[in-house]
Amino acid sequence: MSENQNQTPVVRCRDVSRTYQKDAIPVHALRSVDLDVHAGEFVSLAGPSGSGKSTLLNIIGGLDEFDGGSVQVDGVELDGLSPAALSALRLEKIGFVFQAYNLLPVLTAQENVEFILQLQGIDKQQRRERAAQALDNLGLGELGERRPGELSGGQQQRVAIARAIVTRPVLLVADEPTANLDSATTEELLVLMARLNSEQGMTIVTATHDPMVMSHAERQVHLSDGRIDRDG
Amino acid sequence: MIALAWRNLWRNKTRTLLTAGGIAFAVFLVTFSMALQGGSYEDMIKAATRFYTGHAQINQRDFVTDSKLEQTIGNAAALRAQLEKKFSLVALPRVQAFGIVSREERSIGGMLLGIDFAAEVAQLDLYDDITAGAIPTAPDQALVGAAMARNLGAELGDDIVILGSGKRGGVAAMALTVTGILSTGQAELDRNLLFAPVSSVQDAFGLEDEVHNLVLVLENYTQVKALAAPINDLLQPDQSYRTWQQLLPEVEQGIELDRVSSAIFYYILLILVSFAVLNTFVMVIFERTREFGMLMALGLRPWRIIGQVQIESLFLSFIGVLLGSVLSAALVAYLAEVGIPLSAMGGEAAQQSMAKMQAGSVESIYPAFSAASLTTAPVVLILGAQLSALISMLRVRRLNPVDALRAE
Ligand SMILES: Nc1ncnc2c1ncn2[C@@H]1O[C@H](COP(=O)(O)OP(=O)(O)OP(=O)(O)O)[C@@H](O)[C@H]1O
Ligand SMILES: [Mg+2]
Repeated sequence: MSENQNQTPVVRCRDVSRTYQKDAIPVHALRSVDLDVHAGEFVSLAGPSGSGKSTLLNIIGGLDEFDGGSVQVDGVELDGLSPAALSALRLEKIGFVFQAYNLLPVLTAQENVEFILQLQGIDKQQRRERAAQALDNLGLGELGERRPGELSGGQQQRVAIARAIVTRPVLLVADEPTANLDSATTEELLVLMARLNSEQGMTIVTATHDPMVMSHAERQVHLSDGRIDRDG
Repeated sequence: MIALAWRNLWRNKTRTLLTAGGIAFAVFLVTFSMALQGGSYEDMIKAATRFYTGHAQINQRDFVTDSKLEQTIGNAAALRAQLEKKFSLVALPRVQAFGIVSREERSIGGMLLGIDFAAEVAQLDLYDDITAGAIPTAPDQALVGAAMARNLGAELGDDIVILGSGKRGGVAAMALTVTGILSTGQAELDRNLLFAPVSSVQDAFGLEDEVHNLVLVLENYTQVKALAAPINDLLQPDQSYRTWQQLLPEVEQGIELDRVSSAIFYYILLILVSFAVLNTFVMVIFERTREFGMLMALGLRPWRIIGQVQIESLFLSFIGVLLGSVLSAALVAYLAEVGIPLSAMGGEAAQQSMAKMQAGSVESIYPAFSAASLTTAPVVLILGAQLSALISMLRVRRLNPVDALRAE
């Protein structure tokens, strides 16, 4: 990690806060958060329910707005970007894995992975090769022709990871990717993510309640009531 | 994108089939009914004009209102020849005179029509109603309405005398032999009309190469309006060209009324079906909110998601339109051959309304497509489906991916 310290961090949050209005009562989901994530890190956000993990991930991923502070992803300031610019940034720089509903049910695994490359305007030949390779990489080489409905929960999440990394993003954002999986499958998925991080240097930020996930991440950031109260 | 839309369409087979089925049903019903109407209008117009009136008529302008003997078209033979040469039509000369018709002691007023029998019989249906005898072939023969013959006590072979006033003021007299009795079933006609050869009537009433009426029977009746200008060019300023719409306004009004009232019904049906499609799309979008959120999170812009669903809607309406059109085309093609006997269509009521639409008898209706009947329902429904999808998708523009992913 020390060799990264002088480079521009992949994620740089300064004094980030986010307040929701719930029935006219302000809810402080994030309060003055500072966080740097460097290239090659595997960061796990931990903390009790409602502590702001998803909020922080969504802001880092350019999905949600924030009302104070500064967020930079790969050197780009997100504050003030138009929705179109944010979309483009997500498409080019960030890979997402959600808890569920990651995949289009009418497309095969291979097509789901190719889909995002198509959005990027990559030609058919390349799409096919890169998608097949990404699936292979995640041990799904045989399952490319299956639709999500014909895959187990763990396999579906692996396809989602394949899709998230096939675009070679600078950052992989995963909000509770294992929440719907049993412990054996969770372990498998975590090993895979750790391998992506160590072998390919993929920068990963994930949020979880699961101690197993935390144990795989090299760096744990603990949130409580919208503040970071422990880091490392 | 297109393949994706196609596959999305079949995510809920039952719903897609039901919606497409609804569209197909509406297309079928509307295109078929419109073809049926179109066909029946055509048949009605043909029957009404073919009976006696023709597709258009040329008169001396004042004759239309006054019907005086001297209000004639001069140089009739030349005009007739010219019209028949320049246009694809037949022109039937008619002379019309009032007189007293007598046989022995009995006398009644009547209207004498001088016509070209051979030409009229070839073009018009009125003479199908000759119930006794035959059409006149000699200059001194007459065809007499059945009621008039009865009132005169005249039978075939009897002599009758017609007295009137000639063009130059003198007495016009004709002695004719009854060779045919005409029974149209229309009391007005059967009581008042008698027919004799045009040249005999012209001679008797002091007319030269003059007629009161040139009845035009066109090869294609739809040309009447197109021919108005070129025919008017041939006419004198005091002569008028009138189309069947002016001659038989009740036919045109009846058709127009029917067209409008059924158009209202069609549009209500089409709008109802469009609402069903709208309902389908509202449900689709409700169910797929999380998916849309996911796509937006990946970096898809809202308008691309909207476009995607518009394509789905296009497919859906195409399937329905295709299905409905094929069905109605098949049925129309079959019935255009076979015809629908009027008795099968509410029998008497239909016959009566036909009778009201003036004369002529229509035994069968032959449905016929027109550009309007083929395209109205498909166009309205395809646009309706597009609009339905768009209306239900508009909220996607304001959809926030975080909220959408969280949606239940
Ligand atoms: N859209 C929203 N509207 C109002 N309040 C919200 C909204 N999203 C989050 N919050 C509130 O913000 C706070 C932080 O929520 P967040 O989802 O970030 O927590 P979390 O740490 O991810 O929780 P969990 O572990 O349950 O996923 C909570 O109090 C939550 O109720
Ligand atoms: Mg959360």
